[in-house]
Amino acid sequence: MTTGSPTVLKLSNISRTFGTVNAIDSVSLEIKRGEVVGLVGENGAGKSTLLKILAGIEQPDQGKMEINGNLVKFRGPQDALDAGIGVVHQEQSLFTNLTVAENIDTHNAGRTGLSKFGIQDWSRLNREAAVVLNKIGVHLDPKARVGDLSFIDRQMVEIARAVHVNKTATVTPLVILDEPTAVLEQAETAVLEREIRKLREFASVIFVSHRLDEIMRICDRVLVMRSGKLVSDRRTNDITKEDLFDAMVDEPAHIDTKARSTSPFTAEPVVEVRELTHKGKYQDVSFAVRPGQIVALVGASGSGREALVRTIFGAETHDTGSIIVAGKPVSRWSIRRAVRAGLAYAPAERKVEGMIGGFSAARNIALVHPGQVATGPVLRLRRMAQMAQSWLTKLGVRPNDISRPLAQFSGGNQQKVVLAKWLHASGLKVLILDHPLRGLDVGAARTLNIQIKQAVENGAAVILIPDTIEEALEMADNIIVMRDGKVSARHDLRQDGDLTLHDIVAEMV
Amino acid sequence: MTDKGNPSAIAANLPTADKPSVFARIFKAGSWNTLAPLLVFCAMLLVVSVLNPNYLGPIGISVVTATAAPILLVALGQAMVLNIGSIDLSNAAIGLVGTILIALTLPTLGVSSIFVILLLLMLIGAVNGAIVAFTQVPSFALTLGTLGILQTVALVTSGSNTIYITENRQIVSVLYEQQLAFSPLTFWIGVLLAVFYWFILRYTILGQNMTAVGKNESGAIFSAIPVRRIKTITYAISGFTSGLAALSILAQSGSASFSGLGSNLLLPGIAAALVGGTSISGGQTNPINVVFGALTVAFVPIAIQASGFSAQAQSFVYGIFIIIVVALTTARSRNAVIK
Repeated sequence: MTTGSPTVLKLSNISRTFGTVNAIDSVSLEIKRGEVVGLVGENGAGKSTLLKILAGIEQPDQGKMEINGNLVKFRGPQDALDAGIGVVHQEQSLFTNLTVAENIDTHNAGRTGLSKFGIQDWSRLNREAAVVLNKIGVHLDPKARVGDLSFIDRQMVEIARAVHVNKTATVTPLVILDEPTAVLEQAETAVLEREIRKLREFASVIFVSHRLDEIMRICDRVLVMRSGKLVSDRRTNDITKEDLFDAMVDEPAHIDTKARSTSPFTAEPVVEVRELTHKGKYQDVSFAVRPGQIVALVGASGSGREALVRTIFGAETHDTGSIIVAGKPVSRWSIRRAVRAGLAYAPAERKVEGMIGGFSAARNIALVHPGQVATGPVLRLRRMAQMAQSWLTKLGVRPNDISRPLAQFSGGNQQKVVLAKWLHASGLKVLILDHPLRGLDVGAARTLNIQIKQAVENGAAVILIPDTIEEALEMADNIIVMRDGKVSARHDLRQDGDLTLHDIVAEMV
Repeated sequence: MTDKGNPSAIAANLPTADKPSVFARIFKAGSWNTLAPLLVFCAMLLVVSVLNPNYLGPIGISVVTATAAPILLVALGQAMVLNIGSIDLSNAAIGLVGTILIALTLPTLGVSSIFVILLLLMLIGAVNGAIVAFTQVPSFALTLGTLGILQTVALVTSGSNTIYITENRQIVSVLYEQQLAFSPLTFWIGVLLAVFYWFILRYTILGQNMTAVGKNESGAIFSAIPVRRIKTITYAISGFTSGLAALSILAQSGSASFSGLGSNLLLPGIAAALVGGTSISGGQTNPINVVFGALTVAFVPIAIQASGFSAQAQSFVYGIFIIIVVALTTARSRNAVIK
């Protein structure tokens, strides 16, 4: 706030590489007491790695970290807590079966809630929790069970816990809020904003968010990260939202869009949703996909696009609206019915939902449509092996070993097998891809995109949730932008060739 | 792909070869987890043959296989249920109800009694499975409940008496008296069933789906596998198999009672499945190895006796032995190479 305040955190040339990737590339920054600093950047820009370094979860390869003027080196999360750094994670990490006071005490450096014999001292525990809650201006009963609280109240407990990490008077707490508003309703966000203003009286805050208007409203200063580098560090008074977009988004060198035909899709939609609503997730979403068309759903976290596609696949329910498959509204929709209707889904949670890790690659591919390699109920293992072998060769899966358990392949090769399991269905009509390129290297991503385009040429429709907007611009015919569960914009890339990344980011946040 | 042209690479790394030789296949099938149950059983035979060779004569074999038969049958059903990641604590109780009902109806209905009761027991199993699948009550809790219910049913239907099969007894007793290689037919029924279940698991869509459910239920759901139907069918199989165990008990004893032969099969059945290399966390079983598991479990008390342990120490040694054997034979998740 004031330039005269003491510096709480100072990073000099911090770097962290993973393999060949520079997740954090020589980042230097300074945060003063009482400052609220925004941190923005696209997915994969390095925000999370930076936060992990501050929280002691990751160690930097290079660079110096100073806290309150002292050089520090965190060997683990406990060191970060001792130094007064508390993190409020996007996914709440409270123990719902414990009380408010117990939760606040869990990250406390001294574990002051324990007596010297290691026994819980309830009266002291509750007294201290009450002091912290009072300090941040929240009126909650320390004895309440966290599981009984509302979401925003739990968020407050998280903040109290983050503030309470080290209550020594000499330490200025640094509270890191990692996308705390992503799952909050508007009224709750207002509560949180008020809370952050209160925090600056005695703490410093790093506030991570995808919503730029929030950042502009709450923060004194904004840091922008792009490809691991800190590319902009400006006071919010001096900049506009548009400046932030420019700093956030890499202008891609060239996006190949000329492959698209300009003729409109005339065939009947294979899947259509009309005013589909699931309260708290998405609202009044309508769109249609036709054979040969790729529709990309773009949005920040909390946009509801993941829940939406899972509903279309029958894995989640909706409240109102309708799903129309092959011209008929569906009722009692389920995954089994969806697959029978020709839908396929490559989930983002690949290891848990997309595959049977203990099964060989061959059995994984044959799992959904075993009929093609079976005579009646009996599997023909030789035919299964031949079918699987042809897919592994076609997709260049390494190692080229159909009997190897899928869990032992790398992520990219697993994803190829997951795709093969759906592509090998003869009646494939709609391919739903949820972050299909997540964690994939460039080569695997290219193979996958070629296969997806080939499936489209063969008449499949694709609903794509891309990792990046570039991926959407490269692959999709239509882009649907979602914000807070609602469609905020629609683009037809075959008509609107000079759509830029900036336009879309502006509609997302 | 590049190591395809390199013979030494194939020799060093057998599973990657496109078409392994016969030797390679045997070698591959001979991974420790596949052979452990057989080797453990053979090792025990060896020890007993050294200590007390009298136990290994024709009579010894027939005693062991006759004891193993009901354990094997219960264990096979249990292995199928464990394979889908659940457990059936009620299977022995289903068998007990089966013995009593067959003993009660056999004199009047004859052979058809067996078919009717087997069908009924299969239905009881299916109900177990359907409740697990549709209400998502944990299988441990549910089958613990049905175990209690069925014990009461057994107590009431038998009137707490031993029921002797007065007529038509030869229909079942022939299964025990008729021997093949010093072993009663009841044992061979178990062996045949083991081969059949092995075939189902390895060579049918149903079996592939069962194992998929056991290895990763979410993955199975997202692959459009009818998980609920699979669970219902698996528990029905367990009920049916328990019915065959009931038959083997009746064949041997000619009578049924709440506390007689076969009333104590639940834990030996689970032990046999585990000793046979079945994973308690699901997705891993080989019914053929369960045969060796059952033989081992039936043989351990005899081996202990042959080794000269005192009567008081037998349970103690049995307990230690089972722990060691399961530690040796269980397929652990980190050995994900086993198929």
